[in-house]
Amino acid sequence: MKEEAITFGGFTSLIGILTRPATDFTANRAPAVVLLNPGIVHRVGPGRIYVRIARTLASLGFPVVRFDFSGIGDSPVRNDHLPFEKSAIRETEALMDFVEAEHGISQFILMGGCSGARIALQTASLDSRVLGTIPINFPLTDEEDDSNPDLVARRMAHYYWTSAMHSAHSWIKLLKGDANYRNLVRAIWCRVRQHLRRSEVHSPESVQLIDNLQTLSARNRRTAFIYSSSDPRLGELREALGRRLKQLRRSGKVTLNVIPRTDHTFSSLEDQQLLLTAITEIVRAMSLPSEALGWHPAPARITSHKQPATC
Amino acid sequence: MRSPERVTPFYFGAHPNLLFGCLHEPRSARQSDWAFVICQPVGHEYVASHRALRQLATRLSDAGYAVLRFDYFGCGDSHGDMEQASISQWLADVAAAIAEIRRRNGAKRVCLIGLRLGAALSMMSSATNDVDSLVLWDPVTVGTKYLSELRDLQAQMLQFRRKRKPTRDDDDTLDILGFPFTKELQSDLEQINLKAWKSLHRGDTLMVSTVGHSETSALTTCLAGVNARVECQQFDTFKVWLPTTDGSLPVPSQLLQSIVDWARKNCS
Repeated sequence: MKEEAITFGGFTSLIGILTRPATDFTANRAPAVVLLNPGIVHRVGPGRIYVRIARTLASLGFPVVRFDFSGIGDSPVRNDHLPFEKSAIRETEALMDFVEAEHGISQFILMGGCSGARIALQTASLDSRVLGTIPINFPLTDEEDDSNPDLVARRMAHYYWTSAMHSAHSWIKLLKGDANYRNLVRAIWCRVRQHLRRSEVHSPESVQLIDNLQTLSARNRRTAFIYSSSDPRLGELREALGRRLKQLRRSGKVTLNVIPRTDHTFSSLEDQQLLLTAITEIVRAMSLPSEALGWHPAPARITSHKQPATC
Repeated sequence: MRSPERVTPFYFGAHPNLLFGCLHEPRSARQSDWAFVICQPVGHEYVASHRALRQLATRLSDAGYAVLRFDYFGCGDSHGDMEQASISQWLADVAAAIAEIRRRNGAKRVCLIGLRLGAALSMMSSATNDVDSLVLWDPVTVGTKYLSELRDLQAQMLQFRRKRKPTRDDDDTLDILGFPFTKELQSDLEQINLKAWKSLHRGDTLMVSTVGHSETSALTTCLAGVNARVECQQFDTFKVWLPTTDGSLPVPSQLLQSIVDWARKNCS
């Protein structure tokens, strides 16, 4: 395995790391895996998980690129006024152009956490070179602040149902009268409303998501969502897609992998191992071992504590 | 019109312990004899402060200095895993970074800027390398205290998570937000006590502290005791190495500018 620093992009010099397999990957014709910034964290990822993902996949024969979007990590800011959602897609495509020109690889798997998950999906719907996407903790909206009371209530409900309910400390607070009862009632009502709602939520973001997934499905491209069990965005996805999620999953083009007992940034070594196992299996499944292509992925050498659930 | 920023990423050092570095070229027509090497923190502190330190490098480059930011072995984009790292390895990495910027830039004088454990490594490196001045930003001065803070942070960040049952595979490695601090690394860290360090730096030193960081005053006293020229600055601002509740990576602009202003005054 070899790592080299790369710069690319005509407009700005974007900075990344190419992790190459030990074997001649251009002859093997394995797709390249591209890791997109998780939010504004730079290309090593929280807990250095992106480095681990890249090195693990490279040991299996996949070339991997991690890079920083302009204004994030080591890449300089752009000097135009293009909004991030547009510039990030362009920069991802520029990266694919670079890898194609330098190494003759024309098929890619895009992966990213949080906003990187959104960019991965949007780029894939526009660029047919993308074989598959792995959005990790995909956020339906880019809202992170408290401006949307409905969003705040839903995320609070998710926290109560996935974490607080299982915490002895939380129950003690409840019984002693120290809990925030207003928040608790809002969380319960939010949960009841989610169960009663029969059709999916028709927000612009959900409509766009369904459109992207259908475009990819029609193009025979796979989308493998990965969520931490405690991430409230999982509930938002289920609510947004409603019955469409089941339909898409039945087609085999969309999978939903929920990793139990993990948080949004996979902030423990055990969490990271579980994520690594899930990603390895998905990337191998997305790549097409084919006699015609003359390539087969190397056998996995990952041991896991527990298998993530695939729904 | 100012020239665009020139940042060159590269690997340096000796295989298999290659280190990743980013060199910021000076953007001013006036070239300085000085170059800066930024010694970053480790673990989650490295991730949280990366943006601030990158912007510090840009500001110093704008002021006419060459700056090298680099990742220690087993950290960031450098080779190796943190499980293989040690303090002696990291001190060797600082030495390699100093040599590298001298080789690339021809700098005659080097200033190390260290944040947190990076500040401790900077101080320790100055004893055996040709270092002309130091900037120590909220330094880790006592390793046992640092480890205790890490354990407290881990407990606080994971207090709402369902606890997992310990397994037979558990060893003495401390898992701090996904970064492994092995038993050996912990032992190395426990040996650090800058206040008892025998080879304190005697050159120009800027001590930067955020309010509430109590370790800098004791270290300043020690440095004054060996007639080092120490300037202290304190800022009422957030601790840039700590995780935020909203996932943002804030930048303490006034603090960064103060470092650049000190450099202009003392490194010319």
